[in-house]
This record gives sequence, C-alpha cells and structure tokens, in this order.
Amino acid sequence: MRCKGVMVILREGICPGLTEEIIKALQAEDIRTVEDLVSSDAEELAQKCSVSYKALVAFRRVLLAQHAAFPVAGLDLYDELLSSTSILSTGNPSVDKLLDSGLYTGEITELAGGPATGKTQLCFSVAVSIAHEHKQNVLYICTNGGMCASRLLQMLQARTVKTDEQTYALQRIQVFQVFDVFSLLSCLQHLRAAGLQSSTVAGGSVKAVIVDSVSAVLSCMLGGKQNEGMSLMMQVAAELKMIAKDFNTAVLVTNHVTRDGRGQLKAGLGQSWSHVPRTRLLLQRVDRPGAPHGLRTATLTKSSRQPCHLMEEFSLSQQSGEALQSGFSGKRKLNTEA
Amino acid sequence: MQRTVSSSPLAPSVKVKLINAGFHTAADLVDLLPLQLCQEAGISQEEANEVLQALRHDSRLCQERAAEGCITALELLHCEQSQGSLVTFSSELDAVLGGGVSVGKTTEICGTPGIGKTQLCIQLAVDVQIPVCFGGLGGKAVYIDTEGGFLVQRAAEMARAAAEHCALLAEDTEQRAALEDFTLEKILSNIFLIRCHDYVELLAETYLLPNLLQKCAEVKLVVIDSIAFPFRHDFEDFSQRTRLLNSLAQQLNQLANQQQTAVVLTNQMTTKVSNGQSKLVPALGESWGHAATEKLILHWEEDKRLASLYKSPRQMEATVQYQITGQGFRDASVTLELRPCDPPPSVSYKPHPPSPSASAPAWNCSKRPRVEAQHS
Repeated sequence: MRCKGVMVILREGICPGLTEEIIKALQAEDIRTVEDLVSSDAEELAQKCSVSYKALVAFRRVLLAQHAAFPVAGLDLYDELLSSTSILSTGNPSVDKLLDSGLYTGEITELAGGPATGKTQLCFSVAVSIAHEHKQNVLYICTNGGMCASRLLQMLQARTVKTDEQTYALQRIQVFQVFDVFSLLSCLQHLRAAGLQSSTVAGGSVKAVIVDSVSAVLSCMLGGKQNEGMSLMMQVAAELKMIAKDFNTAVLVTNHVTRDGRGQLKAGLGQSWSHVPRTRLLLQRVDRPGAPHGLRTATLTKSSRQPCHLMEEFSLSQQSGEALQSGFSGKRKLNTEA
Repeated sequence: MQRTVSSSPLAPSVKVKLINAGFHTAADLVDLLPLQLCQEAGISQEEANEVLQALRHDSRLCQERAAEGCITALELLHCEQSQGSLVTFSSELDAVLGGGVSVGKTTEICGTPGIGKTQLCIQLAVDVQIPVCFGGLGGKAVYIDTEGGFLVQRAAEMARAAAEHCALLAEDTEQRAALEDFTLEKILSNIFLIRCHDYVELLAETYLLPNLLQKCAEVKLVVIDSIAFPFRHDFEDFSQRTRLLNSLAQQLNQLANQQQTAVVLTNQMTTKVSNGQSKLVPALGESWGHAATEKLILHWEEDKRLASLYKSPRQMEATVQYQITGQGFRDASVTLELRPCDPPPSVSYKPHPPSPSASAPAWNCSKRPRVEAQHS
C-alpha cells in the first residue's frame, strides 16, 4: 500500500536470496531501488556485477510480483458489490433522493457549501441516522470545533422517546477532534492500522467515517510558493479512499466553496481535490424574500448515478419533525424516515 | 504502526531526504540514534535531532489518544452539559444562543460601527465572573484589544451594575459569601487586557495563549476585539492573508476546544456588490465565514438594534431586539417575536448542572411573558 512514485530501496530480506553482498555489488552499478533493478537489462547487469543471470531474473520476477497490482475479474467485483455494498440513509429524504437513496459504502461523498448552509447539520443527521436506524458505528472526525452532542441528542429525541435507545445511539458515534492536517493524517492512519476497530460498548461495525471539514485543515496549507500543502492534501485523499475501499465504509467529507471567474460557486480545494469525491452536493441558502429560516437547497454537482444539477429544497429546523408543519412538511421527516 | 514519514509534521526538504534514503514509515526511524540518522539520510545532526524529537512526540500523542480511547458522543454530551454557558444579560439573546455564548466554541460577533460589538464584549468579560452559585462561570477574562476600543469606565459601570444585580438576587449564605468577592475592584482586576497593534502582534499572542491559559485555568473567556482591524490594512498579498486567517481560525478553535473557554471575536462589516445591489456582509472574505463556530450579526432596523444568529451548530437562526443601557447590554423593553428555547424533554442525562435556563430569566429585571411565536 505504498503511494505511487515512492521508491523502494533494495534491502536485505525483501526478496529471498538477495544478500548483502549482491546488494553492494548492485549499488556499485548504481542499482539502488526496485525500480532500477526491474528496468535494467539483466544480461548486461549480470556481467557487470558478476551476479548470476538466473538469480537476477528470479529477483526480478519476485519483486515484480510483490509490487504489482493484483488483477480482479469484473464478475467477482460485481458479486462483491452486490453482497457488500450498503446504502445508508442520510436521514434527510431530499438529500437521499439526490444521492440515489443515500450514502454508498466504499465511496467518498462530499458536501460543499458556504458558511451556515447546513453542512454540519447534514453530517449530524447522517451520524444519527446510521447510529439509530442502522444500529452501526460512526466515526466522526471534527476539525472545526463544530461538533455539538446536544444537537445530536435533539435529533435523536425527534426519532425516539426511549432514553436507552438514545444512549445506545450516542455511544455508537465516536468523536475525534483534530485541528491540523498532521493530526488528521495521524488519526486516519491509526484508524486504518487498527482496522477501524475501536473499543465500542455497543458492538457492530463501523459503517461511516465523517470528516467535517477537510478544508478547515487544508486551506491554510494551500497556495503560496510551497507545494507541501498539495502533497498533504493528496495524502488525506489517499487515506480516505483506502478507508472507504478496504473497510467498505461510506466516507462523508465537507468542503468550503470558492467562486470561479464568472462568480459561480464551486467546491473549494482546487482541481486535484475535485476528483477525489465520487459524489458531490452543493448546499446553498435560500435568499428569496419571505423564505422561512433554515431553508436550504442541495444541488447534485457530481455523480455517477444520477443526472447532475438535480436540485432539492430542505429545511434545517430545530425540532426536526414538528416545526415543519407551517407549510414545509415532507421536506424533512426525521422521525419517520428509516 | 502505519504512520508514514511523508505525512509527519517535518520540514519538506528533510522529508524528501528521508524518503530518498529509504525511510518510509516512522517505525523505520524512531529506534535510530541521531548520529546514525544524519549519516544515512545525509541531513545535519541538528535536523536529525529535530526529526527524532518530532516523531517521538507524535507517537506519544498517538499512544495517549489510543490509551484514552476516542470519546463517544455520549461522553461529549456529558461534558457539554457540565460546562454551562456564558450569559449575555439579555435573556432573549441567551435563549436564541441556547443559554448564552458557548464555552468550548468560537463565536463571532459582526456589526457596523456603533452597533454595540465592543459593549457586548465588555459585558461578557464582566458576566464570565458571575459566581458559580448564581449560575455563572466564576471565571476570568482575557481581552485582546486591537482597535483600542476597550473603555475601562464602561467596564466599571457594567461591573457595578452586575454586582448590584446579584446583590438583589442573593438568598442564602453561600451567595452572600460569594458576593464579597464579586465587587467592582475584583471584577476589573480579573479582566486581563492585551493591546495588539498589528497582525504580527496578534498572531504572536495567539501562539502564546495556550500556555497562558494552561497556567491560569480560571480564564473562561478570550475576547479578540476586533479580528478585522489588523487584517484589513497593510495587506497586499490577499492569498497570504487568507492563509494566515485560516490558520488563526484553526488555532482559536483548538484553543476553545482544548482549554474549554469561550472565544469571542468581533468582525467589521463591508459592502459587497452583487447583481447591481449592494449589501452589508461580514468583512475578511468568504472563507473567513467558516472560521467561527457560531456567528451573531448585530444590525440596525430603523432605530432598533437587532441581533441575528446566523450560524450555529446547535440553535436555529433567529433574530431578537436588544438595547444598550447605562448598565450594559440588556433586553429591549419591547418584546419582539421570539422563539423560546424549547425545554429539553424529561431525559435523565443531566446529573445536577447549574441550569442556565433557570437562572437566565432572573437577569432580566422586567420579566415579560414569553410569546410563543414562529419567526418569519
């Protein structure tokens, strides 16, 4: 699981028969990495460093097998997809509609939007929905101090009146608070190393990882003359992708927005990041006069399942279900949606 | 241990050298001696020392995190409920904010000149000291003044008013005893004023704040009045400004979270023209809008002063009227439409916290019936 472009240095023990002496002999010919060895001409090399041709070819075969990607048949992939992918409701019917019924495991979904457009509220809703309706665990990585457990409780109270169910659901949501990109990477790498397993009271497996927000920790690193920020951003992307794929979890991230040349909103963090999420929703406030507080729109701006630019309205109301009776019922029925 | 070298907090040039020398994970490095490392990677001994220190520190942090285990939302809820919040002396505004300004979060107050941003900040610096037995936080305040707008005579007036107000409420001996420490002199001596003249001083100060707060745990409020002033001048490179502001925002969020203090920032307003219409928006650009966790906008409507909650992870948007009197920040005597904070249903999560909702109405001398109304 090494990043592309990382050179693997020839060392004793990475391949049977590759002894210290042979490595020294190869180094004398400027063959230092696996890449150097497999791309060199074995015959020529055998003569130069007096290592047997047979041995060199054998090393090459082993090293190539070790470092090559493994091909998988499409049919196997399809079977796996059918048996292991789950679709997790976001707890918000309008958003579920845009996402073709919810968050898919094994994928990264992004919520982009300006300040106070409901990104964090949707993340809360997803966490509560998975913890309560699906009875699965959620890892919630908060990078901007927006985590608010009392709001989670409020959302749960709208769904169930049973105190013990609320308690169980809250225990299934595990919160990590990190405030810089290095801590975020450290946190993600440790989660991956531990197989996303952490001591949970409630049992069940981790079905979703939420990062709110990626741009808070990345945007201060980007721009200027250094490209360190770009590298860190792509490492965050790689970690999230691996977590999504290897553990078959849904990954939900939030992002800021910027404006392009024509003043149109687009998701932040630039071109390279824009390829990272499989699905992207753009959230906006509704500014038309007379619109009630808490009304937002979600627009699908990237998707591999639904046509783009689908738009839905939804409301972020305090009491989730009840407060919607004034003409906006049906937009967000948290207490009934499974 | 999967920690990679490339994702560690090290200088980029050092990282390149380490990776070229074949060190990919932190585990490859931590057991080396500095001398070995500087030979193998071709870096100076000083750099080698720094690398090893940084990585060991990093792995210690990780172990600590693993030892505590991550925190569940339930544990977080208990923390939040035991924290209390910082009342504003306007019960309507407290209701909108869910009991007052959140402790452990950053709150931004935006508004035009003269609307009362500084008044509210001074009021908060006084209110944070209300003794615990009165439902307050019994803390101290750090006030970072960048505009030179802190008026000590206003602070004195508000402190006197707050002390008198509490004196009227004192019922038992505990409260009367607490009042002896809640005097004008004590209140003023517990506000630590720091004057910053430019953005460099401000940035430096925010780097020092965590240490200061660790030494003085009673500090429950940090005010920066204003964040906008030092950043609206002397900047030619706007992308540098954005980066500095973004990292400042993360630092303040971290400070609020880790030291469990309320961080209050004030911001100016600026005119933005879009579609031929100009409107007032908070200054410092759109990306700064994400910075603070909660945002309150103070604005005029004819001759009324209004406070609108614009952004909050826990409360709905709402607008209330307020006034600024000789005694400080208060409810407007005329009741505006207000959605009262719904009382939490009978859930047994709260052990025995000093209930902010019980004490909040008491601050308001002129109690008025709360109107059940939906805001439009």
